[in-house]
Amino acid sequence: MVFKSIKHYVLIVAGLLFTTSTFAQLRLPDGYFWKQLPNGLQVVVIENSKVPLATVQIAVKNGSFTEDSVYNGLSHMFEHMFFKANKDYPTQAQFLKRTQELGAIWNGTTGYERVNYFFTFDTDSLNAGLKFLNAAIRFPIYRIEDMEKERKVVDGEFQRAESDPGFQLNFEVEKRVWGDLFTRKNPIGIHDIINTATPEKMMVIKNKYYFPNNSLLIICGDVHHESAFTMAENIFGDWVSSGSDPILKYPIPPFKPLVKNDIFIKESTIAKTPYMMFEWQGPSYATDSASTIAADVFSTIVTLNSSKLQQALVDKGLATNVSVGYLTCKYTGPIQIFIVPNPNKLKECYAELLNQISMWNNPDYYTDDQLKDAKGILLRNDIMAKEKPSSLPSQISFMWCSTSLNYYTDNTDDYQKVTRADIKRYLDTYLINKPFVGGMIISPDLNKTVNAASFFAAK
Amino acid sequence: MMKKYIYTLLFAVALVGAKPALAQHAAYDMIVDGVKVIVQPSGNNIVEIQTVLRGGVQNYPASKMGIEAMAMRALTECGTLKHDKNSFKNALDKINASVYGYTNKDYSVISLTCIKGDFDIAWQLYAEAVTEPKFDATEFARIKQDAINDLKEQESQPDESIDKMADKVAFEGRDFAKEPEGTPEIINSLTADETKAFYNSILTRSRMLVVVVGDLDSNLIQTRVKIMLDGLKKGTPVEMKKSFFRVYNNSFKAEPKDLATNYIEGVTSGPLVDAPDFDAFNMAMQIFYDRHFLNIRTNNGLSYAPQTWFDVGSISVAKFIVSTTMPNKYIAVFDKLVDSTKAHGFNASELANMKVTYLTGFYYKNETNYAQASAIVDNEVMHGDWKRALTYMTNIKKLTLADINNAFNKYIGNIVWVYQGDPKKVDPVLYKNGTSHVGDNPVSN
Repeated sequence: MVFKSIKHYVLIVAGLLFTTSTFAQLRLPDGYFWKQLPNGLQVVVIENSKVPLATVQIAVKNGSFTEDSVYNGLSHMFEHMFFKANKDYPTQAQFLKRTQELGAIWNGTTGYERVNYFFTFDTDSLNAGLKFLNAAIRFPIYRIEDMEKERKVVDGEFQRAESDPGFQLNFEVEKRVWGDLFTRKNPIGIHDIINTATPEKMMVIKNKYYFPNNSLLIICGDVHHESAFTMAENIFGDWVSSGSDPILKYPIPPFKPLVKNDIFIKESTIAKTPYMMFEWQGPSYATDSASTIAADVFSTIVTLNSSKLQQALVDKGLATNVSVGYLTCKYTGPIQIFIVPNPNKLKECYAELLNQISMWNNPDYYTDDQLKDAKGILLRNDIMAKEKPSSLPSQISFMWCSTSLNYYTDNTDDYQKVTRADIKRYLDTYLINKPFVGGMIISPDLNKTVNAASFFAAK
Repeated sequence: MMKKYIYTLLFAVALVGAKPALAQHAAYDMIVDGVKVIVQPSGNNIVEIQTVLRGGVQNYPASKMGIEAMAMRALTECGTLKHDKNSFKNALDKINASVYGYTNKDYSVISLTCIKGDFDIAWQLYAEAVTEPKFDATEFARIKQDAINDLKEQESQPDESIDKMADKVAFEGRDFAKEPEGTPEIINSLTADETKAFYNSILTRSRMLVVVVGDLDSNLIQTRVKIMLDGLKKGTPVEMKKSFFRVYNNSFKAEPKDLATNYIEGVTSGPLVDAPDFDAFNMAMQIFYDRHFLNIRTNNGLSYAPQTWFDVGSISVAKFIVSTTMPNKYIAVFDKLVDSTKAHGFNASELANMKVTYLTGFYYKNETNYAQASAIVDNEVMHGDWKRALTYMTNIKKLTLADINNAFNKYIGNIVWVYQGDPKKVDPVLYKNGTSHVGDNPVSN
């Protein structure tokens, strides 16, 4: 599950290859259909005739989790170059013109463990749209002059983010949480790496990760699954497999656990009101999928208005907003608390937060009713999340990259099965008395008044 | 007395032939105790309700701007006559329903989103919030601090900050310059009692409109709305004060900020909502967005997210916004692009393609109940015709190249520019000089 309300500035994560036995047990929601082509490309078709549109998406297990310091930010640059030029549309002007002919609404995202590309258009354009997607994913053209222009665009995206105090705080927190493997959780990258990106580096990424056996194609909308599978096979069937799992071939190193609390204050003139952020290394789908489910249930409990956390901080006027969330990842997801504190009560807010966290593992910290309400919210969230057909491909591809299709299908039911013991194990393993990173961003003027360092410190 | 009208999705049939365009039934409207209620069956298990209070910035003087936004916030944060704040919010949590109010320069909306099976409970809470808000003084003091925090957060967000600055500078001296969210000083001075009195003054049937998107029985809707309206004053209708925005001279105003890049926004004219060339200009701006993107981002790498849009309201304007480290180069490319577009116009394939994109966009917006309700509200309040939300593609189909070229040439003129970032990076003269107006020639300034 993605962070629901926490301000976060990175998106996503990565995945797990199916084994043959997993395929035999594959579960999907009603109206969802799955097929694997001989080249390893998995195709999911979602029949949803709410509106006469089709959305096509291709998701690749790539992103910052595959990046060391030499490549940090280049999965994202690669994503930008997807929309630049290819053998069928050799310039970006031609590429854009084709999107306009298709009447397409399109975009791409790069996160921790997924890069995805998606187009929505009239359902009658499905075959043409799949051909367009195929040309872009398999036959990109990297010209040095195109890359020079796109470097500025990507770096401009980075600079926009850096102009936001929330991003500045998040960036510093993440650096400290992930230590020498920060690049694996930093999709936006490093300025110097972005500004020196070359066509050769793009080809290295393509030749490592952009294979059918490392990708998921989703076709969703007013479509019929059999004809959609036929189109997919006709168009993507000759995409050659790499023959081996890229994620196994290029292994992801494990994160080093935090060893002590790390609390910092960052001054910034653009922070017109202060923010606080706290982060722990949380569960990994690969090693503890049960805790990824318990994490979401607990986060929902402490977001209830009736929760002790919300009552102590928001109801009492110590904070405008407090959100708690866990981002599901195959490789260690972050648990994050984001607070917009009352600038007149920073010391009290911080002290109360620590007090609340210290009580999280008490059996009476939440009631049975609150556990039930949280599960009810997650049940209804699922109905709400499935309302918009064009958003379904991104939801399933996120889970495919970071967990599994079964995890996606069972997610809401699994929430209903979570017990107090599951939550206690999650809290004991990842939060209670575990080291964390805490940061506050504050304007120099306000800091002169409150001297944040006098109270916002490791204890 | 209730009148009920049934409308079909004319546009959908016209464009897609015999195939049903949307998997939902036809929309209709009815009048309940003098209030128009518009219903769009949704074909899903979600219910979205939006109650509109018209007036916007007309409702309060500049010295009290922010009071309507505070009233909207208080509806769900300061309790009702039947529930204190916590029991109200806890009851909503139990069914994961969302009730909240927000305001813009032309109207406010009080919104409910819930699962259909929870509608009875959710509606009761919603109706309480609308008609029986308590404005508890202790809670009101708390949300004042929250509102001030929100204002400062907005000021910290460059996109929001530059747009607020653009409105403030461009609309100086007009009612439209009022900022609905207010200022920290005004918010701090408001009391619960005066905000309650203000809310009661605008909570009149004559200002209201109710939009329902959901699969609810018509009689049920009528009954519930009637009970909600019971006891509300009729009041005096408020008319939207439409006003044309014209810029007589290019201008440039900079505000220093320690940003990693620089933000620039330009504001110029646009047609009134009832102008015959409204749709033509809207389409021209959509095509210009693509040209702007191609020239600014693709061809010159000047900005990650170059934006242009037609901002529609009682004053409608065209806006351009970029973040860039090269503001002088940006304005040179922009000026040349505007000159070229004015001299040579848009072309037939751009128009044809944009019509297809509009069609995708139409259905895309119909994917969620919230988006459908918002489109209906917008069209009813702005154009006095909610059916336009369903039928505007009929007008779009008829647009010609001459229509969109004439509209672009007519309204895109002098521009109010504002800038946040490093003032040393920009030459204001380049912005004040404006386009050369001599066709496809480089700007000579």
